[in-house]
Amino acid sequence: MKMKSKADVVVVGGGIIGLFSAYWLAKSGEEVVVIEKKYPGSGSTFRCGTGIRQQFGDYANIQMMKKSVEIWKNLGEMLEFPEFKFAQTGYLFLLYSDEEIESFSKNVRLQNKYGIPSRIITPEEAREIVPLIDISEVKAASWNPTDGKANPFLAVRGLLNALKNLNAEVYPYTEVKEILHRGNEVKGVKTSRGEIRADIILNATNAWAKILNEKLGLKFPIEPYKHQAVITEPFKYDEIKPMVISFKYGGAYLTQEVTSGGVIGGIDLKYGPTWDLTTTYKFMREIAKNFTHIIPALKYIPLIRQWAGYYAETPDHNAVIGKVREYDGYYIAAGFSGHGFMLAPAATKGIVDIILHGKSDLPMDFYDPYRFERGELREQAIQMG
Amino acid sequence: MRIKEHPVIDFSKKKGRKVTIYFEGKPIEAYEGEPIAEALHAAGIRVLNYTPRGRPRGLFCAIGKCSSCLMKVNGVPNVRTCITLVEDGMRVERQRGLEPLPQDYHPPKWKDATKTEGDVIIIGGGPAGMMAAISAADHGAEVILIDEQPMLGGQLVKQTHKFFGKRQQFAGVRGTKIAEILKEEIEKRRIKVFSRTSAVGLFQDGDKKMVSAVRNNKELLEFYGKAVVVATGALEKMIPFENNDLPGVYGAGAIQTLMNTYGIMPGKRVLIVGAGNVGVILAYQLIQAGVKVVAIIEAMPKIGGYFVHAAKVRRLGVPILTRHTILRAEGRDKVERAIVAKIDENWKPIPGTEKVYNVDIVALAVGLRPSIELLHQVGAQTTYVRELGGYVVRHDDMMQTTVKDIFVAGDSSGIEEATTAMLEGKIAGLAAALRVGKADLRAVNEVKKAHEELMEFRSGPFGARILEGLEKVMIK
Ligand SMILES: Cc1cc2nc3c(=O)[nH]c(=O)nc-3n(C[C@H](O)[C@H](O)[C@H](O)COP(=O)(O)OP(=O)(O)OC[C@H]3O[C@@H](n4cnc5c(N)ncnc54)[C@H](O)[C@@H]3O)c2cc1C
Ligand SMILES: Cc1cc2nc3c(=O)[nH]c(=O)nc-3n(C[C@H](O)[C@H](O)[C@H](O)COP(=O)(O)OP(=O)(O)OC[C@H]3O[C@@H](n4cnc5c(N)ncnc54)[C@H](O)[C@@H]3O)c2cc1C
Ligand code: FES
Repeated sequence: MKMKSKADVVVVGGGIIGLFSAYWLAKSGEEVVVIEKKYPGSGSTFRCGTGIRQQFGDYANIQMMKKSVEIWKNLGEMLEFPEFKFAQTGYLFLLYSDEEIESFSKNVRLQNKYGIPSRIITPEEAREIVPLIDISEVKAASWNPTDGKANPFLAVRGLLNALKNLNAEVYPYTEVKEILHRGNEVKGVKTSRGEIRADIILNATNAWAKILNEKLGLKFPIEPYKHQAVITEPFKYDEIKPMVISFKYGGAYLTQEVTSGGVIGGIDLKYGPTWDLTTTYKFMREIAKNFTHIIPALKYIPLIRQWAGYYAETPDHNAVIGKVREYDGYYIAAGFSGHGFMLAPAATKGIVDIILHGKSDLPMDFYDPYRFERGELREQAIQMG
Repeated sequence: MRIKEHPVIDFSKKKGRKVTIYFEGKPIEAYEGEPIAEALHAAGIRVLNYTPRGRPRGLFCAIGKCSSCLMKVNGVPNVRTCITLVEDGMRVERQRGLEPLPQDYHPPKWKDATKTEGDVIIIGGGPAGMMAAISAADHGAEVILIDEQPMLGGQLVKQTHKFFGKRQQFAGVRGTKIAEILKEEIEKRRIKVFSRTSAVGLFQDGDKKMVSAVRNNKELLEFYGKAVVVATGALEKMIPFENNDLPGVYGAGAIQTLMNTYGIMPGKRVLIVGAGNVGVILAYQLIQAGVKVVAIIEAMPKIGGYFVHAAKVRRLGVPILTRHTILRAEGRDKVERAIVAKIDENWKPIPGTEKVYNVDIVALAVGLRPSIELLHQVGAQTTYVRELGGYVVRHDDMMQTTVKDIFVAGDSSGIEEATTAMLEGKIAGLAAALRVGKADLRAVNEVKKAHEELMEFRSGPFGARILEGLEKVMIK
């Protein structure tokens, strides 16, 4: 495909964040192009655990996720892509100690304040939701029925479809080598296939964000960490509806994937910072061990795939979203750790509000790129799926 | 039905103890050492499961690679019954779509996996893997050989015909016999052999290699070594036609497994699709077992297999129809008929040329593709080469892939023949032994000799295409 030589906005990175941002921009009438060095979704997006939750422990992520869930629920309709479905099947955190119960109760109170119907339930109630879990050690669970999951392949396909209908272009296998600027104004991008002029550029390259930033002398602390996930053979749908989480057993998260019915999930084992994405035996073994403690019947079902992807981590595990002060026209939305898929609808709405109107009704200050410089870390967000 | 008499194989000597399994409650006679699906086939049961859309499915590959044979065994779904051996009293049921997991609330007991260390780990015990093992061991390397089947030999154990090729590579000897000879050579050496052990992961830990494997579908094993040779063979290809999933549409290898490994009649009347070596030899083997072969059809204008084999089959009264294809299989729950037609130069069926064959088996002998999953997982570079059967890994002339100290040999490096598989296995085994510091100049000379033999073999009638293919994968 021949590339345009200019556009209103260039979005660098064709993951869920880049594509969703391009969607809002194109809907507002901007001429937008997305540049992706491999194929859309190939970064972290297609490697994610599919989880979408509102059970966070701070005011900003809770409100952002509430907004996101509203959008996820209607995404199929909004994109005119009925294949996409948000499965509102809930998140179930299994709690094994009084300390865990106490800290989750505190979060539940905050979540309730913002209208999230989460609550602490008994082990027996938890077993009613997922009959296969072993509750012999479980003391309580934190349950929110309005959390859910979605298939990232369908989400990306839906967005690509919509972008096509809105005449926004996506250039795969095209790498941005450099952000062009004159003085402190950005002017476009230099790619592996030529230049594109634009006065507004959004860096949505997540784990790779620092590469382009460093060339501009910018230092936002986003580092690539290797995380892995697995999927099992499929079995009857709806045996494990919600995302089930256990900090005690490996920091595991697992659920039946929306479209296939296999169990998708991971544990809290990370390597890095690193660009290496080979899978490790240790992970496979720990998965088998921890998953079968949470749901013993999983011992009967073989794992069929294991893969690795990046969590683009910041010191407080919250993303870096906003306007870059040093260069006019340069924006960033990157560093989403383990929750960029779920946050995408609201996070991209927020950054596009900022690009187009200079402000947003969403609590975007929380993700201020300059908070680290000021030594103002947020409370670490839970990284889990 | 079981084969009573066979000109080459004596099944009475191979049979295990008689046991009873229960298929949907009905008792079925089976023999220890044979897999569930094969025992059911002998009892006339073709439909093993229904897909989520309700389509019946049966055996296809019979080597655990395609998941067409999933059943519920003792209440557990998704069991590959073609490679799960029968046990007395086993309960077997047809799986209907996605089935629930058993209600079981007991976490398994975890113990550390058994660890085995060596210099060279070889995955796959066909001709390539066995030769690699022998050659590496001869130079003093400590060798571990893993194969998922109950017996070593790979494809060879199913080949009752006498092999082509060069004298040094056992030309004129039956495949089954070659397997035995190589097995004896292995037993003479200090090679640690692990049968019924599937390698499920290939990992790197610094310079060390690690292979995780599962023995008997239950026990996790860990293997550590300095070099790995992957010789996992190939999988059968499928072609598109209506009802190509109907039970009774079997891969050629599955039919060979049924009749030559387990002494089970694959069916009564067979149509073979594909007149390459495999198709033609399969026809001969079917006739040996007393099965009627109605025809062999071939889409190409010429027969692909060795002329001598084809001539023999024709003499036995089997028509070989070139420029023909299969349009569809028909039947309720299993193959009852196959409809074929002539095709024109553009591979389009010519109306009015349809023929109906009343058969209970359609045998697909439409080619193999290399089994490269483990190499792919460990990050070896792959590329698509039609001449070699599909996706293959890039390798150099010592058979090393793009991942240091990981080698490939035999059909998994490109579909060819047992002769070349053995030579490649030899090179890979020697190269691995050299790499782990166990071999000396003699090994280098042996590699040179093996290269010469390979070149000579490939200058034969079928070599030109292979050489073209290799040109595309070789790292220079
Ligand atoms: C194992 C795992 C499990 C996870 N589970 C969950 C979960 O359950 N829920 C959840 O919400 N999140 C989860 N995540 C996190 C989630 O995947 C990410 O946060 C999210 O996908 C980030 O989207 P993105 O668009 O920012 O990044 P990406 O999808 O990584 O997109 C960035 C894109 O930029 C491209 N790019 C980079 N540099 C350039 C350049 N110079 N020029 C052009 N293109 C470039 C890349 O190729 C890439 O496609 C998980 C992540 C992993 C690894
Ligand atoms: C009908 C037919 C006729 C033939 N006739 C001839 C002939 O006349 N002359 C000739 O030279 N060649 C002939 N061949 C070809 C020859 O049999 C093959 O090319 C040869 O067997 C390839 O050897 P291999 O060792 O690469 O693979 P294979 O023989 O396929 O062996 C691979 C082995 O790897 C094991 N394995 C695979 N995956 C795993 C895993 N994950 N873990 C553990 N083990 C694993 C398998 O169990 C198998 O034992 C014929 C083939 C067929 C089908
Ligand atoms: S896996 Fe059993 S027939 Fe293929």
